[in-house]
Amino acid sequence: MGVRHTRCRQPAAADRAYAADAVNTSLQTLFRHPCLQSRRICLVGSGSMRGSGELMYSAADFLPAGERRDAHGISRPSLSYLEDAWLRLKANRRALVSLYLVIGLLLFTIAGPWVWRIDPAAQDLDQVSQPPGVDRAALIVPEYQSWDGSGPEGPLHVVGDATSQSVRLKWDALPGANGHRVYRNVFPVGPELAYGMPLAEFYNNAILYHEDRLDLRPGRYYYSVVALGADGAVTDNHQTIPVDVRRVTTLAEARERGLSGEQTGELAVGDSIELQPHPFGTDYLGRDMLARLMAGARVSLFIGIVAPALFVLFGVAFGATAGFIGGRVDQLMMRFADFVVALPFLLFMILFKIAFGIGPGESGVMPMLVAMVVLLWPATARLVRGQILQLREAAYVQASQLLGARTNYLVLRHMLPNTLGVVLVTLTFEIPKAIFVEAFLSFIGMGVAPPTPSWGSMSNEGIATMLTTPHELIFPALFISITVLAFNLLGDGLRDALDARMRNAG
Amino acid sequence: MNPQPAPARFSVLGQLALYALYTVAGLVAIVWLLGLAAGSTGSAVTGGAIDTGNNAITIALRTEPPQLDYGRATDSISLTVLFHTVEGLLTYDDNMALIPGVAERHEIRGDGATFWLRGDARWSNGEPVTAHDFVFAWRRVQDPATASAYAFIMYPVKNAEAINRGELPPEALGVRALGDRVLEVEFERPTPYFDKLVAFVTFYPVNEAFFQSTDGRFGASADMLLYNGPYVMNEWIHSASMRWDRNPDYWGGHKGFIDTIHVGYITQDVNARLNLFKDGQIADTQLVPQMLGEAMERRWQIDRSMDGTVFFLQLNFRDGRLTANKNFRKALLYAQDPVEFVYKALKEPSYMPAVSLFPFWIRGAEGYFRQEHPPTPHEYNVAKAREHLELARRELGLETFPPIHLLADDSPLGSISSEYYQAVYTRNLGLELRIDKQIFKQRLAKMDAGEFDIVVSGWGPDYDDALTFGDLFSSWNLNNRGRYASPEMDALVRIAQSELDPVKRMAAFGEIQDLVHEDVVIVPMYERGWSFVVDPRLKGFKRRAVGPEVDYTYARIDGRAAD
Repeated sequence: MGVRHTRCRQPAAADRAYAADAVNTSLQTLFRHPCLQSRRICLVGSGSMRGSGELMYSAADFLPAGERRDAHGISRPSLSYLEDAWLRLKANRRALVSLYLVIGLLLFTIAGPWVWRIDPAAQDLDQVSQPPGVDRAALIVPEYQSWDGSGPEGPLHVVGDATSQSVRLKWDALPGANGHRVYRNVFPVGPELAYGMPLAEFYNNAILYHEDRLDLRPGRYYYSVVALGADGAVTDNHQTIPVDVRRVTTLAEARERGLSGEQTGELAVGDSIELQPHPFGTDYLGRDMLARLMAGARVSLFIGIVAPALFVLFGVAFGATAGFIGGRVDQLMMRFADFVVALPFLLFMILFKIAFGIGPGESGVMPMLVAMVVLLWPATARLVRGQILQLREAAYVQASQLLGARTNYLVLRHMLPNTLGVVLVTLTFEIPKAIFVEAFLSFIGMGVAPPTPSWGSMSNEGIATMLTTPHELIFPALFISITVLAFNLLGDGLRDALDARMRNAG
Repeated sequence: MNPQPAPARFSVLGQLALYALYTVAGLVAIVWLLGLAAGSTGSAVTGGAIDTGNNAITIALRTEPPQLDYGRATDSISLTVLFHTVEGLLTYDDNMALIPGVAERHEIRGDGATFWLRGDARWSNGEPVTAHDFVFAWRRVQDPATASAYAFIMYPVKNAEAINRGELPPEALGVRALGDRVLEVEFERPTPYFDKLVAFVTFYPVNEAFFQSTDGRFGASADMLLYNGPYVMNEWIHSASMRWDRNPDYWGGHKGFIDTIHVGYITQDVNARLNLFKDGQIADTQLVPQMLGEAMERRWQIDRSMDGTVFFLQLNFRDGRLTANKNFRKALLYAQDPVEFVYKALKEPSYMPAVSLFPFWIRGAEGYFRQEHPPTPHEYNVAKAREHLELARRELGLETFPPIHLLADDSPLGSISSEYYQAVYTRNLGLELRIDKQIFKQRLAKMDAGEFDIVVSGWGPDYDDALTFGDLFSSWNLNNRGRYASPEMDALVRIAQSELDPVKRMAAFGEIQDLVHEDVVIVPMYERGWSFVVDPRLKGFKRRAVGPEVDYTYARIDGRAAD
């Protein structure tokens, strides 16, 4: 614990000091020092605090104080505006966590693709809609050769190996069958005679084999052959076998994807390898979710940061001008801002897309950016104008004017720094809004063009398979939520930390 | 605000966990409240999917028919409703074979056809269905004022095309009523498949007196139609529900065993329909691939059938398009594998990888067309594709290829298809594809305008004959939106249209099939099918490739004596 407290808690209702002219400030500091006003005890001395917080004094403390030249000096350099804000931001844990999250997201976006070098558009069709963390062991097999149904006769059996490449079934005609239908199930066939999903039907007994290549995944399947009646309808006469399918890949595919097994040398048929890892799983076309999330973050954060930065900047300039000049000009400018507020965003977004000559299949991100900048600045402009109007009448500004300060000085020294808090806070609140807008527009198909992902378009794609492969929706949705929450909480913390009027409040 | 007190009660992770907990708790509460709110507003429909006591079922339709004026109907839901309620000269039995409808018997000659109508076919207002009703209906379809999108299907009838262009009055149409019960048709050219055509809705009869009384609102609501089919539509609340009752005046006892079919729900949302089925509210529903796991877990008896439609990449032959170059098209063909697309990307067990313009179920002279005329097997050969691409590059004198425009629907299937092919052609050929996703109507408009290089499109059959696919790429067919034109194709289509010998006719289709492959007019993708479940108590329900999408006319409720 520090020994000398130069600051202490201030009652919330205490008068607030503006950081202004040097004279002003020092006077205010003198008379409005919270220690003078409040009845709290301020310790200015060498007493030490130990363990339980009791004050322990020794005899030395009661000796007369010697002459000290620095007795009335300032013990520490005074805090700058930003230093002070940073101190208070650090004390706000929510804001701090959010700040780390935002930094993490930026790293994820910028550094991520350097670390995780997977093309977000590359399709790994051996691993489609794969949730994170599944077994990826695969065996290398020869190229697929078509099959003419040759193989040993007998009741329903598998010819060759059952692999994720193909399962070859062959059977003897069931008694009394006028044809057969082949089913595949992931559950054993019970008394309900639910055979699973039908794969093929044969309306005579000429063909007694079938090759299944439909989305085979490693694991156990139950294949059934069901006899068809005279009218071609399914009967109860069936035969079922369990089949264990192994995951395989071909040599060409393994080479193409640059996979290597435990073996250090050249890959060969029969080797066991690990398929490409996908830490966040894959989407409906076998594209790596992590790479797509990173690529999507680029779009989302680009729009989320650049658009608000641009329109807040414009809003500040517009609002400050209007507020400072005032009068008729102010009225005119603010009515124009009202007019802009009334313009429908989505419509203009579409108009810009057309006006930009954005053809089919081209990214709609630039028109989105322009539409946001052109249409979303008035909120900031109004806020800043209000602030400026208020500040213009403040005593220290008038004092500064009396001392002969020029307009430039007034604006740059007094006005803008005092609106900085408001502006930064607006900015941090506009960022999540912009991310949302981007996600929404991409969700409805107005944003990025495939195969470029964005979190919004990924959510849109994930919705179709929400129930079976929820990770395709959950990850992008989670990233949107976390980002928006983080920026909002950070904005909240910044509002508290940057408020100039709360300076010295700590 | 005051600064936070210093002691750390939570770690950073603990703080995050707390937020997560709040979020989850909040969501659970909201969901629960919404559930309460939803529970209090029930839908007011009937007693479940199968009502054995009243011999009634409840079903759901995908979409609302835009209108039921069958002279102008084009969509498959309208076709479905009309198949149940109106009957033409001929109709289909439960095995897709043609059977007599209003016509007891018929005769098709080289120059025309004669239909003898039965005497006991009646409209739901009690009037008999006569040959005059057909004459009126057919003239109306060709009348340019009707603007029927399917007018072309009647072009085999003499003067039909000229009337439709406004060159002749509707009365000039080659169809006459010889009394009330004989219909005489004159052909423009020999049309051996005319019997299959007349089962299509555009050829359905219209009672003239009733039509005039509707005052232009024919087919707009349940009472603006007359019915002569196995069912009568007694109620049609737009976008909400319909009620079909068995037609007591229907002439035959071979169709219509269920007394009442409630179309309780009209919703495009497959998940909503699945939930209705799970709740026992509808008798059957379609399953999309991601539902199959649940269906298996619930021990449902899953069925499948072909939808009839073939999907393919249609290539643009207009001048100035890269796809007008034959080697370029060949590269596109060899560089992709529909087997991989269907089995790995679509994962739908009822879909089949396509190899030809003609689906496998098309009938030939004796058996199946594709058995009589096997298509060239597809060859997935990237090296060969690259050779063709190199040839194309030299022929076109290009350094690099400009981006290719791939037009597709904005449906989930359209997205998968377009993004799959985008990646395949980028990976195998190094081409840049730009995807242009449009709503269905806009896609058609862009196809008409030729604003594409490649378009993901499908073609479904209108009638049960190979010609419904075979004439697609004739130079005069407006649905030939890639504007492929070749004299050989046109000559073959003419033979296919008018050859009376079925073997020679099918041989022409065989040559069309080969020509489409040789010229790479299309890159076949898949033949679409349906996976579906039906309530086990409902028997005889069919999903069809030609004509209506779903067919309840032969359905009956199990455990009820056939009455």
